[in-house]
Amino acid sequence: MNNTQPSENRLHALDAVRGFALLLGVAFHAALSFLGGPPGTWFAADNSSNAMLGDAAFVTHIFRMSLFFFIAGYFGRLLYQKLGARSFWANRLKRIFIPLVAGLVILGPIVSFLWITGLTKVFGGTLPPMPAMPADFFPLGHLWFLYQLLLIYVAVVAIHSLVARLDPAQKLRGLVDKAVTGSIRTMAGTFTLGLPVAAALMSLPVWFYWMGIPTPDMTLVPQVPASVGFGTAFAFGWLVHRSKDALAAIAQRWISNVGVAIIATGWLLHSMHAEPMAQPGLTKTVYALVFGVALWGWVLGLTGAALRFLSNYSATRRYLADASYWIYLAHLPVVAALQIWVSHWPLHWSVKYPFILVASFAVLFASYHYLVRPTFIGQLLNGRKYPRKSPSPAVPRIPSPSNVADIGNAGAVARLTGVTKRYGKTAALSGIDIEVRAGELLALLGPNGAGKTTAIGLWLGLIEADSGDVMIMGGSPQDVTRRRRLGVMMQDVELVKELRVRELVALAASYYQDPMSVEEALAKTGTSAIANRPYGKLSGGQKRQVQFAVAICGRPRLLFLDEPTVGLDVQAREALWSNIRALLADGCSVVLTTHYLEEAEALATRVVVLAKGRVIASGSVDDMRSLVARRQISCESSLTPEIVRAWPGVADASRDRNRLLITATDAEGVVRRLLATDPDLRRLDVREAGLADAFNELTREAA
Amino acid sequence: MNTLNADLLSTNRLLGAYWTETRCEYMRMLRNLAFGGPILLIPLGAYLLIAILIGADWSTKNPWVADYLFSGFSTMAVTMPALFSVGCILALEREAGLMMLKRAQPAPAGTWLVAKTLVAVAFGVMAYLPILVCGVLFGKIGMNAAELAAMSAVLIAGAIPFAAIGLCIGSLVSASAAPGYANLFYLPCIYLSGLFIPLPKSMEAQMVIWPAFHVNQLALAAGEAAKFKSIPPQMSVALLVGITVICGGLAIWRIAKKG
Repeated sequence: MNNTQPSENRLHALDAVRGFALLLGVAFHAALSFLGGPPGTWFAADNSSNAMLGDAAFVTHIFRMSLFFFIAGYFGRLLYQKLGARSFWANRLKRIFIPLVAGLVILGPIVSFLWITGLTKVFGGTLPPMPAMPADFFPLGHLWFLYQLLLIYVAVVAIHSLVARLDPAQKLRGLVDKAVTGSIRTMAGTFTLGLPVAAALMSLPVWFYWMGIPTPDMTLVPQVPASVGFGTAFAFGWLVHRSKDALAAIAQRWISNVGVAIIATGWLLHSMHAEPMAQPGLTKTVYALVFGVALWGWVLGLTGAALRFLSNYSATRRYLADASYWIYLAHLPVVAALQIWVSHWPLHWSVKYPFILVASFAVLFASYHYLVRPTFIGQLLNGRKYPRKSPSPAVPRIPSPSNVADIGNAGAVARLTGVTKRYGKTAALSGIDIEVRAGELLALLGPNGAGKTTAIGLWLGLIEADSGDVMIMGGSPQDVTRRRRLGVMMQDVELVKELRVRELVALAASYYQDPMSVEEALAKTGTSAIANRPYGKLSGGQKRQVQFAVAICGRPRLLFLDEPTVGLDVQAREALWSNIRALLADGCSVVLTTHYLEEAEALATRVVVLAKGRVIASGSVDDMRSLVARRQISCESSLTPEIVRAWPGVADASRDRNRLLITATDAEGVVRRLLATDPDLRRLDVREAGLADAFNELTREAA
Repeated sequence: MNTLNADLLSTNRLLGAYWTETRCEYMRMLRNLAFGGPILLIPLGAYLLIAILIGADWSTKNPWVADYLFSGFSTMAVTMPALFSVGCILALEREAGLMMLKRAQPAPAGTWLVAKTLVAVAFGVMAYLPILVCGVLFGKIGMNAAELAAMSAVLIAGAIPFAAIGLCIGSLVSASAAPGYANLFYLPCIYLSGLFIPLPKSMEAQMVIWPAFHVNQLALAAGEAAKFKSIPPQMSVALLVGITVICGGLAIWRIAKKG
């Protein structure tokens, strides 16, 4: 139920982010010999050091592992949902545990050898006495993240099972989903998600600001700051996967998050230069808090930017993302060896650092391309093996639950499921279900205040439902990319009166990726002749035509028309109707609200009648009419409606100027009695009740 | 049904959307003389009257008076169109349901904000340039070219906080009330910030609350007219940035919430 998951495009973006975080790690480690820190803290201490490189490394170090764990949490839940518990653990065993063990066995000795070689060189040929190792010492090296990941999987899956047991109705989880999306949208998450890690960092007795979250690479005993910090990131990623609008919200807020991250990071750098090591007190507390803000600003900002700009499939990015895991696993010996080798060269760091980067990536990519990608190692690490001959693999399909759901409900382009919306104490909609099918025109009928405009507002993302599910084009309307397939003509909207028609259409078209040309939109809506007139000088009918042009210029697949023909003369209305029919013929779906019932009769595939926020009837136009098999009698007569209303067989009677209007269940009997009672009766007319009458009847019953 | 690549705006289309929005915003302001005309002409008229006709003697005796008046009226010129045009037009657009429509349309989130701010700055420039030309023609500017250029840059940037205040007013009140509220803020703002007459000592304490005071202070500082400096420039910048962020943020929040 809660697996309303985004498309594979989204997953491409997240893959790219994970790859970025890992490749950034290579650049980070490559910078560590140029920092000019105390000897013995890294494989090599280069003779040309640079503070700026240190700052850059610090900045990446703030967020890169948290970013990795955040994405890991997202994919963790995706995988858990897709595979189920058993296969999930089997899969993690292959992808995480085996690489961890193999890496420790194979890389461990190489890294140790390089460490001794490097330190010997750093200390001018003689190794200083090694400090005594603590009892729990275990050299995880850079593979600590796999171990940490396994620990977190165990914890999170345990919590997941517990919550599933305690919250069978998903009530709690529904609230959490809302809180997750809300915290991203309001940016409260950026400022509060860092609180746990900040608290853990504050409590550290020794904290060099530069280290950020201390790396737990020396022991198998879980370390508090890392477990809390990366655990939060992972858990939030997991929850983001649960919450259906969260990714869209992250994409929307990317600029703000990056902005917050830049400001916070600037402050961190500034304070760190003043005092590199935390002294107990206020500064340490503030530093830890700002660190948390910077961390989450970067994590959410970079993820959002990727969702915004990298959501499409790109063969290059796919390759990089696939390669990144291997490259990160294997990079340390390569980078360290190069660092040791070049450390005494009489060259500037700006030559040596790029050299190390280029040389390491060359070696690592070559090893990936020839030794990993086409072999069992690639199969193990990435779950697939590419034959060496085909350089461009087919676009991989990553099935996600939503695709399956969409196929199951093919045909529905918009849906309200159990939606309730209240304004204060009045319920505008109470638990309604409406579905718009592909290619149909759905007419929403109802008196004022029935909830028609509220329904449209929900679909357009203008308001949010109190409960229930709003779907449009397969997902949430909050996602602006989804709205690019919609066109909208709203009630009571006045366009800018100083702008010419052509300019208004061009402005609306600029919001879409592949709109009609302005000329085409004008021609289709019969507004070419008024193209150069200011909107304010147009007649009411012309204005509606222009609004229609604005609505369709983006080639929408679903068009919302809220009372489109109010105030139009007959000709203009007919013209608009034929435009709407042409759109339907092109396969566009339309939702139309109207007071003019003949409009629904003329156009609608289906009719939904709303009254007081409930669906009181739905079906084809004929269904509606047969719901109330009544006939309409009208005549000029001196009889008053009050008298006639009391007759048997009369459902309703009213007077419209000199004409008496009667809705009858027994038309023949009523006509006989009319003629008998009023000999002067003239211009008698009896016809089948139109939709108008059916509709009046229905809404009166509901009221 | 997934989000197709076709639904993402390419960078070109995205920039195009910002450009089209800004161009439309500019055209509509330009065509709306009811707003544009008086707002552009009042500061120029006031400058000609006070600085060039009435104040001609003072400024001949004290060259710094000329710079002081030039800076004061220029501050008025850049801030007034920003506040009034942005505020009143946003309120009108909200009332017409346009902001609601923009939310329903797939308009990229920042287009309206960027367009209105840029147009506010452009109108500030349009109101400021005639004053600059008159000042130069009548020889009422004592600064050298570099100082004048620096002062101009500061003044033009000074339109931005007022655009933000305008957005804030326009997002909160109705179209008929917007000019009233804008005046309620703007008239005390320009008089009590000592733009045209140096205020007595007793009134100096309250000047710091008016953004126009800070724009003027920065303009004078940029023009090296140190005689009038009464507050460190960093302080003024911080306050103006703060006002911009708070007012702009409030407006964005309101529009996103209510349209």
